[in-house]
Amino acid sequence: MTTILKALEPFADPVSLLLLGAGLLLWFWGTWPLLEAGSYLSKLHKLSVSDTLGSTLMLLGLLVRIPGQWPLLCLALLGLLVWNTIFGYVLARCSLPPQQSEPAAAARLASPTLRP
Amino acid sequence: MGFLLSCLLRLVLWGLLTAETSAINLLIGLALAVLLPHARGPRQPLAPLLRALWGALVAIPVSYGEALSLIRGGGDEERWLEQPASAPSQRLVIFLEVLAITLTPFTLVLGLSRVEGRPIYRIHQLRPRPSTPNPADTRRIEP
Repeated sequence: MTTILKALEPFADPVSLLLLGAGLLLWFWGTWPLLEAGSYLSKLHKLSVSDTLGSTLMLLGLLVRIPGQWPLLCLALLGLLVWNTIFGYVLARCSLPPQQSEPAAAARLASPTLRP
Repeated sequence: MGFLLSCLLRLVLWGLLTAETSAINLLIGLALAVLLPHARGPRQPLAPLLRALWGALVAIPVSYGEALSLIRGGGDEERWLEQPASAPSQRLVIFLEVLAITLTPFTLVLGLSRVEGRPIYRIHQLRPRPSTPNPADTRRIEP
């Protein structure tokens, strides 16, 4: 295992930079639509790309760069994936008008109220 | 089984947080995992739970593929869908299913409803506009 890690050491820096750069690109791609005139939910879809997936790539980049800190970085990775996603769900659910949160209102799902 | 899984998850989180594998530290973690309050409710069957966990893990690479499709795609198409859900009494399975669906950038869960007695997820979908009509595996709700 140590031999494999030693052999991979020269690639750690470029791989880490690649992951950090890809994460940064996703950040910008997902954040930019917030300034545009899309619907609230479409912004939320795109924000999940930057917020969850971009940040995950960045944490993976940090994991490759500083493998000694793996326990905390793995904890951050787990927390990010789970809570960011569930927070997105909470935001999406709270965006519905109160009457649509009720189970009996499923038939009214196609309401255009959330569209601009 | 739910109790054991919950203890195991707490112990793993404790281990990652403290980054120490000494016996005394693991004992403290185990004591905390057992003593902290546990959720009460019906028994959680293991097989659907493992299936949902696998689904949540598979959703991670899938979500990167969907993100790339969204980045590459021209115009986007928004739709409202409904998809069959597991029984609401299986709380952990529901949690993992919501996680898997919401993690993928194409879909967001808006809630859990009952239609004709069956539990369903209400889903908002955003995906690149297909050049040809693509029959979805979930039923579309027409406005």
